[in-house]
Amino acid sequence: MSEPTTERTEAAEGAEQPDFLKVTDLHAGYGQARVLQGLDFSVARGEVCAILGPNGAGKTTTLRALCGMVRGRGSVTLNGTQLLGRSPEQAARLGVAHVPEGRGTFNDLTVEENLRVGAHLRSRRRAERAAVAADLERIYGYFPKLRQRSRQAAGSLSGGEQQMLAIGRALMLRPSLLLLDEPSLGLAPLVTRELFEIVRAVNEEERTTVVVVEQNAQLALDIAHRAHVLEAGRLALSGPAAQIREDGQVAEVYLGVSVSARKTG
Amino acid sequence: MSTITATLGTDRARRLRAALTVLLAAAVAVGAPFYFAPFQVFQLTMVLLYAVALAGLNLLVGFGGQISLGHGAFFAAGAYTAAVMLDQYDTGHLATLPVAAAGCFLLGLGFGVPALRLRGLYLALVTLAFAVFLPPLLKRLEPVTGGSMGLTVDKLQPPAWSGLAEDQWVYLVVLAVTAVALLLARNLLRSRVGRALLAVRDNESAAEVMGVRLSLHKTLAFAWSAMFAGVAGCLYTWVIGFVSPDSFSFVLSITLLAGLVVGGLGSLYGPLLGAAFVMYVPSVSQDVSEAAPGVVFGLLIITVMFVAPTGLAGLPGRVRAAVARRLPRPAAAPDRTPEAASAPDAKPESQSASEPSATDTPADPAVADAEPVGAPPRTEKE
Repeated sequence: MSEPTTERTEAAEGAEQPDFLKVTDLHAGYGQARVLQGLDFSVARGEVCAILGPNGAGKTTTLRALCGMVRGRGSVTLNGTQLLGRSPEQAARLGVAHVPEGRGTFNDLTVEENLRVGAHLRSRRRAERAAVAADLERIYGYFPKLRQRSRQAAGSLSGGEQQMLAIGRALMLRPSLLLLDEPSLGLAPLVTRELFEIVRAVNEEERTTVVVVEQNAQLALDIAHRAHVLEAGRLALSGPAAQIREDGQVAEVYLGVSVSARKTG
Repeated sequence: MSTITATLGTDRARRLRAALTVLLAAAVAVGAPFYFAPFQVFQLTMVLLYAVALAGLNLLVGFGGQISLGHGAFFAAGAYTAAVMLDQYDTGHLATLPVAAAGCFLLGLGFGVPALRLRGLYLALVTLAFAVFLPPLLKRLEPVTGGSMGLTVDKLQPPAWSGLAEDQWVYLVVLAVTAVALLLARNLLRSRVGRALLAVRDNESAAEVMGVRLSLHKTLAFAWSAMFAGVAGCLYTWVIGFVSPDSFSFVLSITLLAGLVVGGLGSLYGPLLGAAFVMYVPSVSQDVSEAAPGVVFGLLIITVMFVAPTGLAGLPGRVRAAVARRLPRPAAAPDRTPEAASAPDAKPESQSASEPSATDTPADPAVADAEPVGAPPRTEKE
């Protein structure tokens, strides 16, 4: 199942569909506040793409625009289908699964019910039920802790477990595009590392395309093939993850020092 | 492995206990009219029909997270549907039930649309307006509704073969309808739709990104909820045989909501407790104080909310949690004999047999409350 990926950047370059997710001139914001001011980037099929940048740069807004939670102008296509102008529910139907910032688990439902809400769009037909059951097993395979707690209310889980649940729930959609918004938020470093390893495993085993927004650049760059650094609603820097990691200018961006746009990819 | 068998064992035990409880409750419920006096049987009948209305309101408020102060109006719509059908078209009682149910479902669907745009207090206000405006409308539509004089129709009569008195027959019919309605509400909540509804209540936007259609589910919640209220109203006409605009003032809507909150929001059997509260407490407070029964009623509501903020249905869970908190200190054991005696035995067992995860579950009453809903959704329906 999983091909050993020695160098993740190579895997990215070998991808067969470089414009699987294509964002062109994306503008988005909330009311008067224009957050994104013309964003262009592409994510290849099967790639993990990290979006980095300081607070308020528009990382979360980018994800929200991709999944329909925020209205945007410009163009966002997934496998050739326009995503802009669709509701979150329609985006979910097109295979976009969004794990919101702060997890957003359904705390009064049990762990298993949370996962089943993830299969909401497909549990109608009888034949589909076996597939859903198999998917539950698959998720429990990735997150053994969730199996232990499958009958427990999600509200009684620890933060790390809730984040696992939120990711598991999103995977129940069998997404072609997984959007992760700050998965490390408020979690212990060890838990975060475990979480990122699982995301890497999911990406390698299922070829799920992942866009992850992170404050913790090191962690995100470890699992990403490619990274984009946002600053004030625009791309400040983009390139293969390994290159961004070694580039000292990332630190400058985080310090708020403006960097001349150097688009390498 | 041992943990799996252990959970299976407790699961089976729990299921057996649940089955026995249901059987016992059914036996008591069916036997009651042969034991009590006619007036008491009538009161029990009213408790049952209020429970149907509260179960419907519970779908909307307890599980859907929306507030309605207008359910008295849906109740009235169901009651008048039955009364008008009996009065003008002489359709027979049974025919009125599906019509009242369907009519109120559609009415609820119509009201679900503003519910999409409004939330919280704003929605409560719009539904209250509906409840306030319906009685005068009923007075105006005199040719159909009998105006402020109301309509007097036949009560439900026992068939000759049954050999039952009127109150007994009415009670048993209402009991049957109530049982079906409560079962329907329960299955609805365990289905895919119910799960989506709960997800929307917990976290709207997270539910939406999972592909749940907010508008559809919110509107449907309103429609189902109105349907239950309409069925209860229809039963009311069967039982009382008289409807008038004054029986369905907006006070009824508020009483229903108060009853639900007292009984236990979001609990499956809270509506039954709330219905008993709605039925009996006003007459009890009349006995306590002739002059100001409202004061007694209000004080009782405050007392219940103070002692049991999760409603009467949440009280056992809170008591259990309070006992569990005191358990580590053996000195505290003697004051609550039954639970305290069994629990210390159970605790070390579960600790050795299962993973630590099984024991570190917080003894949170709210979690215990949610449990009947949280059971595995085996009863999934299309």
